[in-house]
Amino acid sequence: MFKSSDQIFRSNRPINLLVRRCLATTVNNLSPILSDITIVGGGPAGLTLAASLKSSRITSNLKINVIESSNLQPVNDFYLDPPVNYTNRVSSLTPQSIDNLIEIDAWKFINNDRICSYDNINVIDGISDERLDFERSEIATMCENINLQSALYQRIQELNNDINNDNLLNIIDNTKVLNIYKDQENEWPIVQLSNGSLLKTRLLIGADGSNSPVRKFAQIQSRGWSYNKNGLVATLKLKYEDFRSIAWQRFLTTGPIALLPLPENNATMVWSVDPSISDIILKKLSKDSLISLFNSLFILSQVDLNYLYKFINSNEYNENELIEEINWRIDVHKNKIGIEKFNDSYPVEIIDIIDNSVNKFPLKLSHSDSYVSNRIALVGDACHTIHSLSGQGLNMGQADVKSLFNFIETGCKRGLDIGNLLVLEPYYSDRYPLNHLTLGITDKLHKIYSIDFLPVVKLRSFGLNIVNNLDSVKDFMINQVSGPSK
Amino acid sequence: MLLKPLYHGHVPLRTIDRALMVISCSVGAYFHPENNNYIIGLGESTAFKPVLEKLRDGMLSDKTGRQILRERPRITSSSLNLNYLKNLPSNTLGNTYYKWLEREKVSPDTRAPVKYIDEDELAYIFQRYRECHDFHHAIAGLPITIEGEISVKAFEFANLGLPFAGFGTLFAPFRLNATQKKRIYQIYYPWAFSNGVNCKSLLNVYWEKILEHDINELCKELQIEKPPDLRQLRRLQKIKNRSK
Repeated sequence: MFKSSDQIFRSNRPINLLVRRCLATTVNNLSPILSDITIVGGGPAGLTLAASLKSSRITSNLKINVIESSNLQPVNDFYLDPPVNYTNRVSSLTPQSIDNLIEIDAWKFINNDRICSYDNINVIDGISDERLDFERSEIATMCENINLQSALYQRIQELNNDINNDNLLNIIDNTKVLNIYKDQENEWPIVQLSNGSLLKTRLLIGADGSNSPVRKFAQIQSRGWSYNKNGLVATLKLKYEDFRSIAWQRFLTTGPIALLPLPENNATMVWSVDPSISDIILKKLSKDSLISLFNSLFILSQVDLNYLYKFINSNEYNENELIEEINWRIDVHKNKIGIEKFNDSYPVEIIDIIDNSVNKFPLKLSHSDSYVSNRIALVGDACHTIHSLSGQGLNMGQADVKSLFNFIETGCKRGLDIGNLLVLEPYYSDRYPLNHLTLGITDKLHKIYSIDFLPVVKLRSFGLNIVNNLDSVKDFMINQVSGPSK
Repeated sequence: MLLKPLYHGHVPLRTIDRALMVISCSVGAYFHPENNNYIIGLGESTAFKPVLEKLRDGMLSDKTGRQILRERPRITSSSLNLNYLKNLPSNTLGNTYYKWLEREKVSPDTRAPVKYIDEDELAYIFQRYRECHDFHHAIAGLPITIEGEISVKAFEFANLGLPFAGFGTLFAPFRLNATQKKRIYQIYYPWAFSNGVNCKSLLNVYWEKILEHDINELCKELQIEKPPDLRQLRRLQKIKNRSK
């Protein structure tokens, strides 16, 4: 993994002759190592960009470093020795994202036994119980983030092992970015790392998440708001495998809850909920009560759920009573609509939660004013964060990476300096409007469904019902999310 | 086409049946308020689903309301031990209720079963309302005379929002004479509306479990004030009329 600066220089191609000559005069420890592209962040976006650049004949001779603050050993180990249980960071990959991963030859390293595609989305209004069903083969594929990272990592290893490739891609993990500043001579960014080295780079990519240090260095303003909700995630075991291949989503007044299929009887859940509720749930509830509560979230009325939150919050809370209350209301509902319809209309019962898989993260919307500045580009969460309800966060990052890669490639073909705004700005103008649209639609959906004012509920149920009966509109919508059907 | 009953004793109605029932029962109830069947029919046929669902939501939001829905208690002379109530201290709810039954010469068994409501749980809620009706009378101390019934109906309408109670409140006083109207409009309706709106939902009171409670404390807890004694007022009015 780690290479001395010497090794890195020896592998340089003639393109960097000038660079080498500059360095020959300064041989002390603090002399910055030169590279073409430095990617901060070894998450899905950063690794995809690195693998894309290395996979292309045009850009493969660029000198690229990837800096990741966490340890990537688990990502490396995942390929040969994946853990038994599913991890709780799971994303839905759209067919376009997968096509892109196939194009850069990374998809072949995906652990196929751990991914699961779904053909239906069942959206339920939590108050009126109105439903919207989307059906199409392979709307999206559920994939653990670490599975994707591992595939990209393996692909990078494969590219590095290629005997014809003497310009290795260097992934520096366990290393934090301490500081970023501009070289006084030519304004190239210099990244100071926690391992003591300095990287001077032609183009600095921020794939470093929503608190992006690169964005801060570039002084790009990010605007948006917190939803004041937490995303509560958990990895679950269902009573049996659900062969219906459905992604369930119910809009509660706290926020939407989604149950997404994983292979066999596994599933993953994300529930957007007020911090006051998620905190008390994580603090007070035992595993059994959590299982019971999670089941109830898809079935019980909003009135029942509000009572349950209140009950959990009160001093009178006890586990047995909570479970009894839930079972009683589920039974009443089952009797009301009949067992057959009940089984058809709801997800398979949750029977277990994987230990330590329950976790929460804050939900917010943010969008940067720009994705680029001189010698800097931002991708993925570094320039936009989105509510998890539409499952678009990771896919937007993948689309960013694809676009940025195309423009860097074009820049190289034309012999331009890839750090120049002439190369980078088309990327920004390509991606910003599309991302803004996705962010806006997701935000409006969240807002419309947060309301429990009856006329609004009636109106949105009416709209949902109309859409549900217009197949052409549904096809249009699903094509916008998942790309044209094959 | 015959519809299938959804619970024991259920008589499913088509929309047209229901509409005819509403019309015939309202006419019947207006001209023959003494015939209980019209009131019962009007009550059930106008207990529209959204109204009952709202009542259910109210019960499900309350601990006692949920307990009642879960246990589904019934009030009959066998479930209530009248002898026991008779021997309770006079300031208790149970004894007040007993004294009221004695004074009005009625028994808890005079409640008809619900037949025309299309969901098991909602039917129970209407049944519960019907069986608790006498408790509403008893805590207010109102008799089963037409004036007393109208006042309790107005009180229930303000509290629960059942449509047929609203019809009664609106139309029933037309049949009364001038002195009765005056009493209703000036004393009992103001009492019924202010108390009905302000007090706790009457469906969320587990009457059977609080028979030993002090009636005054209970009223305070539910935020109900007792109205003037109707029988007493009538007596005074009669004396006044005679002396004229």
